[in-house]
Amino acid sequence: MPDLGRLALAIALMLAIYSIGANVFGARRARPEFVASARHAIWAMCAMVTIAVVALWTGLLSSDFSLEYVASYSSTTLPTAYKFTALWGGQQGSLLLWTWLLTIFTSVAAFQNRRRNPALAPYAMAVLAGVAIFFLGMLNFVTRPFDLMAVIPAQGTDLNPLLQNYWMAIHPPSLYTGYVSATVPFAFGAAALISGKLDDGWIRSTRRWAIFSWFFLTLGNLFGARWAYEVLGWGGYWAWDPVENAAFMPWLVMTAYLHSVMIQERKDMLKVWNLALVGLAFGLTLFGTFITRSGVISSVHSFTQSGLGPYFLSFLITVAVAYTGLLIFRAKELRSPAEFESYLSREAAFLFNNLMLIGIAFAVFWGTIFPVLSEAVRGVKITVGPPFFNRVAGPLALGLIFLMGVGPLIAWRRTTASNLVKSFAAPAIVGVTTGVAALAAGLRAWYVLTAFSLAAFVLGTIAVEFRRGVGARRHMLAEPAPTALVNLIAKNNRRYGGYIIHVGVIVAFVGIIGSSFFKTEVKKSVRVGQSFTIGAFQLRYLGLSEHDTSHMETATARLEVSRGGREVAELAPAKLFYKREQQPATRVAIRSTPVADLYIVLAGLDDNGNRATFEVFLTPLVFWLWAGGLLMAIGTVVVMWPNVRERAAIAAAVARAAPAALEGDPAPGGE
Amino acid sequence: MIVRAKPAIPMRPMRAAHLACALAILVAASLGVPRALAGDRPSAEQVSQALTCQCGCGLTVANCNMPTCGFAVPTRHEIRRMIDQGKSQVEIISFYQRKYGEKVLSAPTTYGFNLLAWTTPFGALLLGGVLIVFTARRWRRAPDTPAPAPAPSDAEAAPFDPELRRKLAEDLRKGG
Repeated sequence: MPDLGRLALAIALMLAIYSIGANVFGARRARPEFVASARHAIWAMCAMVTIAVVALWTGLLSSDFSLEYVASYSSTTLPTAYKFTALWGGQQGSLLLWTWLLTIFTSVAAFQNRRRNPALAPYAMAVLAGVAIFFLGMLNFVTRPFDLMAVIPAQGTDLNPLLQNYWMAIHPPSLYTGYVSATVPFAFGAAALISGKLDDGWIRSTRRWAIFSWFFLTLGNLFGARWAYEVLGWGGYWAWDPVENAAFMPWLVMTAYLHSVMIQERKDMLKVWNLALVGLAFGLTLFGTFITRSGVISSVHSFTQSGLGPYFLSFLITVAVAYTGLLIFRAKELRSPAEFESYLSREAAFLFNNLMLIGIAFAVFWGTIFPVLSEAVRGVKITVGPPFFNRVAGPLALGLIFLMGVGPLIAWRRTTASNLVKSFAAPAIVGVTTGVAALAAGLRAWYVLTAFSLAAFVLGTIAVEFRRGVGARRHMLAEPAPTALVNLIAKNNRRYGGYIIHVGVIVAFVGIIGSSFFKTEVKKSVRVGQSFTIGAFQLRYLGLSEHDTSHMETATARLEVSRGGREVAELAPAKLFYKREQQPATRVAIRSTPVADLYIVLAGLDDNGNRATFEVFLTPLVFWLWAGGLLMAIGTVVVMWPNVRERAAIAAAVARAAPAALEGDPAPGGE
Repeated sequence: MIVRAKPAIPMRPMRAAHLACALAILVAASLGVPRALAGDRPSAEQVSQALTCQCGCGLTVANCNMPTCGFAVPTRHEIRRMIDQGKSQVEIISFYQRKYGEKVLSAPTTYGFNLLAWTTPFGALLLGGVLIVFTARRWRRAPDTPAPAPAPSDAEAAPFDPELRRKLAEDLRKGG
């Protein structure tokens, strides 16, 4: 099997090289048979990488310790599910997963474009194959997944205990899917620059890819946060760690792109900017991988450190220089007649939204690399931690939230004062009322008050949007309200799906504010039968039970949780000890409700478990972070939903309504 | 009833200076917040948030709960003891800074080279804002700009979103 895997990776590399040549030759000489041949090479390349993945999985599942990778990241006692996920638990395997996803996406893009975009697609495929060459080169020559052990050990070292968690089964694949699929818009952008076909063809070809990438970046970040929440045992989910930042930056840039691309689609402006953004998003995915693997910047998530840094950095610089060069080369052709009438317009809102998003992304980037700068310039090691990021990105986030409210309600081109008042009066009142209510409830921190007010304001603007839309349908098509709402979303899925995502962002934002500003913590040492209190909860230590397997020892404490004298739950935090690595770990117990999460860590045990120390966090509203994430996911699905039934529905609507009445003004009696 | 709006009055553009002011306020606010929070007797939470755990986790002393960490827990105890001895936040933090060097601080200091850490993001934002203002000005003056369309008045004052109405009407036409 190892031989097969090695061979497959070598063939895949040759196929990637061939497909570049055939694509470029076929496109330049207008020889479609070469482009078709290149396409087949891409599919074969994907098949080869798939074989390599299957070979490594086979090695992991059969505990074939002749393979260095298996010996380093697995063991016979590792539960089967984690043998499977060990594919991305180490350096070589995770690069293999990355490459596999890349070849899959390249194949799908090749299939989608087999009859479309003859002038653009071959170059895009060549760029994708070029990226694949870099990764396949790494797998073939630098960090080989199929290297063999000189002496076959009887037992493997095992997977890092922190990675033996179910969120780790889904977080890396989601994040990698998001990272890697960002390569497709980049490749088409680069293809547009190379081929000189600078219309919005590249955008249309990759709109779904960009949303797909954004969707998985969102999920990847959320799953990672959830993993940190459950595994690191400090009651938080985000610590502005360099690796977290590396996953967050492409998300910010992709978000900026998804907004600014609307201006280009509608007004043919910002061509250079949009091309720059897809390039930046792709560059940041490489930068993220560079950070994670180079060891240049220390991080809690760097499970694998290696000498890959220089390779990634060189590739990153090559891509950046080549892409910037192309942009400059085409700058003249990219100029388009732009029109801009007023700062009180949706264009302006989008421009400032991009400024905020890129501003946050830059602040995060700057904070992430500043320790390196400090060491280079002053020779002093410093830390740029959460207080920095919270203080710098915090105010920008408020600006962004404000623009989220303004953008959707403000008209394109320009807005009159009276319209402004009419559109924003109700949401503004809602926002101010919320702020006053929060003040009356005893909240004093300016940030929290502003955040809650702005959140309410944005929800108000979205409500106004939905009400207008439903009103229009009810009025013009005489639909009952629920039908009108469903049809409104179904027939304008891009727009209203987008609003659902906005609601999700606000809900998640409220969760972040609640959990960041109102977390309380109690640390208590108690004997069996004794109780202690946190918030309204009484916790009684019932006792300890121990469990021993060949893989790990588990000591589980049972706690009775009651409120107002009534038992509401029994929770069981545990201390774990992984035998292979001789490493302790913790398993937190969480009781989650929309009001607050009760989060319990078993911090210590004395006297044969008769005395236990608990660290308990009461974190308000954190539930809403995950709920908001779910809403964002649902909204994205709505946005991506193929809008095929629209025509049939429209035909039906025409039968009911007189078209003539629809051409003119709506009859009086509206609002 | 349809409310008829007056003909549109073109809005005066927000000046770059306004933008600069707004950004300056943001900077000031972000730097000023922690000062405002500092009381007489420091809270152990505040102090331990200002320090980075040295176990390699990258979290603050307040947050690190790694089972393998040998730094955060004793340091938190030590901080509490120093607070009980009446030491101020500045004293405690500089004690750790002398002991472990600048890397123990969880955020850069606000003087010298480190000031760049704090100011550059806002500087970049300001630059971006100025760039938008200048680009917008150029776009407005651009000679190849088509003649401005008539001011939106009645259509936009209609009770329904004009864009939505247009799309709906268009859809119906296409379907028919």
